[in-house]
Amino acid sequence: MRTRRWSSAGLAVLVLVSLTACGGGDSKNLVSHYTEETETVNLFSPMEKTDPDAENVARTASDQTVTMAEEALNVTVVYRTYTAEDYQDKTYDEVCLDRARNNMDDLYLLNPDTILALGAEGKLMDLSGLDSAKNLREIIRTANTVDGKLVAIPQEVVAYGLFVNKDLFDRYHLDLPETPEDFLECCRVFQENGIEIPVGANRWWLETFVFAQAYAELYNGGNTEAEIAALNSGAARYSDYMRPGFEFLQTLMDRGYIDAEKALVSEAIEGEGEDFLAGKTPIVMAYWGAANTDTAYGKTDFTMEVIGFPSRLGQMPVMPMTGWAVGAEAEHAGDAMAVLDIITSDEALSLYSKINRVISPSKNVSVECVPALKPLNERIEEGVYVLGSNASMNVEQWGNTCRIVRELLGGATVDECMAAFDALQDAALNG
Amino acid sequence: MKETPDRLKKGNSLLFSIILIFCIFGAVVFAVSHKISKQMSESAIQNLSESLDLLQNTIEAILYSQAEFQVLIAQEVARAEDPEAYIQAYERSRAMTKLSLILTGKTEGVSNLGEVFTAEDLDFSAGGTVMDLPVSQTYLNYMGTWSYTIQCPIERDGQTIGTLYAEYVYDAIDQSLPDGFYNKQALLYIMDAESERFVLKPKGMGQRSAGHLNLSDFYRANDIQDPEIRAEVDACLESGWNLLFYHNIRGVQALNYMWPVNGGTIFLVGYVPLEAIQQEGRSVNQHIMIVVASLLAAFSLCILLYYRNWRQQERQRAEREAERKIYSQQLAEALRAAQIASESKTVFLSNMSHDIRTPMNAVLGFTTLLSNEAENPIKVREYTKKIMASGHHLLSLINDILDVSKIESGKVVLNYEPFALNDVISSIDTIIQPMTRAKEQEFHLEVTGIRHEYLVGDETRINQILINLLSNAVKYTPEGGKIWCRILGLKQRSSQFEHICIEVEDNGYGMTPEFLATIFDAFSRAENSTTNKVQGTGLGMAITKSIVELMGGNIEVSSQVDQGSLFRVELELRVFETAADRRFWEERGIQRILAVGGSPESRENMLALMADTGVAVDAAASGAEALEKIRNGGGYQLLLVDWEGCGLPVVRDLRKALPEEAGVVLLTEFDPVGADEFLQFSRTGVLHKPFFVSAFQRKIEELWDMEARGGAPEVQDTDGLQGMHFLAAEDNEINAEILSELLDIEGATCEIVENGRLAVERFQCADKGEFDAILMDVQMPVMNGYEAARAIRALERADAGQIPIIAMTANAFAEDEKAALDAGMNAHVPKPLDMELLIKTIQQYRL
Repeated sequence: MRTRRWSSAGLAVLVLVSLTACGGGDSKNLVSHYTEETETVNLFSPMEKTDPDAENVARTASDQTVTMAEEALNVTVVYRTYTAEDYQDKTYDEVCLDRARNNMDDLYLLNPDTILALGAEGKLMDLSGLDSAKNLREIIRTANTVDGKLVAIPQEVVAYGLFVNKDLFDRYHLDLPETPEDFLECCRVFQENGIEIPVGANRWWLETFVFAQAYAELYNGGNTEAEIAALNSGAARYSDYMRPGFEFLQTLMDRGYIDAEKALVSEAIEGEGEDFLAGKTPIVMAYWGAANTDTAYGKTDFTMEVIGFPSRLGQMPVMPMTGWAVGAEAEHAGDAMAVLDIITSDEALSLYSKINRVISPSKNVSVECVPALKPLNERIEEGVYVLGSNASMNVEQWGNTCRIVRELLGGATVDECMAAFDALQDAALNG
Repeated sequence: MKETPDRLKKGNSLLFSIILIFCIFGAVVFAVSHKISKQMSESAIQNLSESLDLLQNTIEAILYSQAEFQVLIAQEVARAEDPEAYIQAYERSRAMTKLSLILTGKTEGVSNLGEVFTAEDLDFSAGGTVMDLPVSQTYLNYMGTWSYTIQCPIERDGQTIGTLYAEYVYDAIDQSLPDGFYNKQALLYIMDAESERFVLKPKGMGQRSAGHLNLSDFYRANDIQDPEIRAEVDACLESGWNLLFYHNIRGVQALNYMWPVNGGTIFLVGYVPLEAIQQEGRSVNQHIMIVVASLLAAFSLCILLYYRNWRQQERQRAEREAERKIYSQQLAEALRAAQIASESKTVFLSNMSHDIRTPMNAVLGFTTLLSNEAENPIKVREYTKKIMASGHHLLSLINDILDVSKIESGKVVLNYEPFALNDVISSIDTIIQPMTRAKEQEFHLEVTGIRHEYLVGDETRINQILINLLSNAVKYTPEGGKIWCRILGLKQRSSQFEHICIEVEDNGYGMTPEFLATIFDAFSRAENSTTNKVQGTGLGMAITKSIVELMGGNIEVSSQVDQGSLFRVELELRVFETAADRRFWEERGIQRILAVGGSPESRENMLALMADTGVAVDAAASGAEALEKIRNGGGYQLLLVDWEGCGLPVVRDLRKALPEEAGVVLLTEFDPVGADEFLQFSRTGVLHKPFFVSAFQRKIEELWDMEARGGAPEVQDTDGLQGMHFLAAEDNEINAEILSELLDIEGATCEIVENGRLAVERFQCADKGEFDAILMDVQMPVMNGYEAARAIRALERADAGQIPIIAMTANAFAEDEKAALDAGMNAHVPKPLDMELLIKTIQQYRL
């Protein structure tokens, strides 16, 4: 009986296969015309240059929120990317400015200086009407507001800090530096012990040292608004604030704690990352997310800690604001706004922060950070930090300081650098 | 047996052949599939080449169009009065994002964007051209997108008045390219040959990953590091050749390409996963595999069905063969059995003929002698005695033959009724003791471990088993030999059944192993009766075995020549539950009994059997111990003394120690020689072994009642049949005459009627008390004895239910006796007539 049943089943399958093979449509037109129409949103963002197999949790997190938007809105987000091949190429920020000014894309991931520049030019949409904007922390809203318009919303609060090889500090019995003097002393000890260049640097992030020393008291002295007002009115000079930081950098260069030449032509992480990961360089600077991702410093063979930059008020995190912005005259501005609303919603930011373990810009989302970031996080939680960009200042900070630091690296004197700040301030005051 | 290796060899060959066929089939399928794959792959490569050619042509066509258009504009500019104004007024388009002019002799010019234009940033050194117009290196333009500029001279009247620069963006080419090919699985970049920079990239979510910056980044990200491939790539870049090569891209086998456009100024770079290229090939292969699988399935199915059918036929053939073998075997066995039976019956008949003729010869011979010596009373008595013996032998012979015949035909029905084991043993003892005494043999009867005296079974057949075994033992044991009959209680398998073992042992002649093998076979004898000095039918053991097996028991025998034999029968008999008669003991004031002497087993047996009576039984191993117990105030009302173990002096001492009203019962195997003096005491008697409560009770009853009657034992009427008058129904005249004569000898008379009807009628009209009993034959004409008995009992006479009716018939089996009793008769006396038995029976039922 059993054999008969199996035989019958086998024959049935054979018949079914035969019938299936004989089946087919009767249409004379062999071309299928069915295509699903979806709207497109062009998104411009930087391209990775690191190991393609390494996991970039930040990008993964961002991609997942974009997928969320695509599914919710039935749109296709088309990525357009750029990264400079070397220091001679146009920077991402420059390309961003060009593309935004020529309405090449719909959605942009912008750095603080480009946010301020494009916002001031009226090239970015006002995002304050989005639902997601209502959940933003106040500091985020302030830092991204230009001429009364909220022009960018970030998916994470970017905090910069010093990434230190704690094992090396312990080996030479060094406490983690609090002040510029401490920092110089650490560098001295490292150098005496054979570490020729104790600080790994690139052409992008050295300004964080400057900001920490320049604005530690401005942002943490209880008189922030008045001091900014004085700067905006010309009663106070940016150069006065900036000078200690530039002099400090000059000292680092003079003592050989920083390789200025190399830094000037190094891209972020590319130049200094290898030596830091190899344990040759005890100190580098990077952003919060670098501690979470394998493409940066997420996986080290030594004990790593992330601390604030040295200042008179101790370790100081520096927080510039990157963010997503929509071109004011973008071809698909409506869809881009809708996409942005979703990728910066509480739901998306929860997912993003959960994957990336970063500080969320939404006041409704909190997340636990990795152990290495705890020292930095503690300072931020205490409310002790300086902003790397502030739209309420009439001189753009992040991009200009970066550029002027490069001039310092290129051989300009501190006085020349200060003169450049004065020129910028004067230009701003003169309209 | 010789077939097995051959069949195994054949099976292996078949298996090998099937495997070979499958291998060839598999190889053919693989070859076809491989060839199809290869052809499809070649076709796919061809197809990819054509697609890339098409893309190449498309891009080149765009470039040519742009160049042609630029030439036209240059001509327009040349015709314009103010070329610079013309340029400045020109609107930019999506493709041409910037139009600039530098007049001959100037280093700066104008553009349509309104800015001062210089050609310093443009690099035409690579030498790329379109329609002989120089094309610049790729650069990021003011819009932040990759672009190139074509340079075109402006000629007026054969003189070059300036140079026209038109900037084009790659995005414009992108719009003319297909939106992904090979089902969007193929990846396409446009690369500037000089800088190896990717100037047009796919736009997908994954395109933010590494590998999209330039050729070096692409190869690094996709791990294309093979020096040979890199050399081919370099050669391709240098010479502008097409390049296709296989390489795994992120674990997926892919066909990589580099396709020069516009003479190698730009390249199409990318890869297509083989899965996408060979989609059709894989699909065809899949379908081939489905067809092959279907064929294999169908083939396997056919083989399976064939195998199943073959196995079925093989099984049927084997079954038929086995059946045929069984039939043949059965036939052979039947034939053999028939032959043996025939031989046995021939031998048996020969033996029977001899055995019947022997006593018959004696009967006839002595009858002849009797007629001659009629006047000599001594001779007459001697001859009649011998005739009587021969007749009895003939009778037993006939009984055995009939028994065997009945058993073999399956007509024997066991008559299960309650019985007392004591009665069986008494009966056996009564029958066997005289036989052993006659041969001066010692006969020991032992009962051990029996827990229940009253059992349910066919008492007659159990008797028959015991008599057969014991009479055999007596026959085959020489004079002065010993015979033991042991009835042993075995461990009960169920509380409702008594498991007993009957052992009959002798130290007689014994048997040879050959004889032992056939001892239970009917119609066979180990020794030919002609040489056997012992008379016997040779059927006794066969009958015994049949009865034992009919009762669900088993029988076995062991024997050695000149050592003796041991027969062992095991039976399980249902226990007959009877309430212990405690009143019996109470009425006679017996509360304590002392058992003295004997073996420990017999004492234990005694205690077990007395357990339910409510009487406290003590045991003393010796007379001295018994005396001590009595003197210590034992308060015994009765002593049970083992005669053989204690002897007269001990019994005498015990009697003296007891109060006068206490009783003493001697338990003895044989008659107690020398105990006559002792038996004169009141309440003193003899009980034969083995001990049974029922026999013990009867003895006590006898002793106590005798005392009540004044010590005189009950006088049994030994007057025989003197003066009695009987009605006898007998159709055979000779038998009637014999009966009449025999009764006459006993001083009785009888009236003979010829059938049952006449008997009924005669009794109906008889006076009350005219007949003392009715002697009823069974097989009679007109009305048989059973009907007649029923009719008499049904008569409306006061004595119709009381007059003893005794069946007197040649139907001598147990079931015949049962039928007689069922018909209302009182007793059954078989023919030939045994006058002693008849007298005893009549006395038992006389009114």
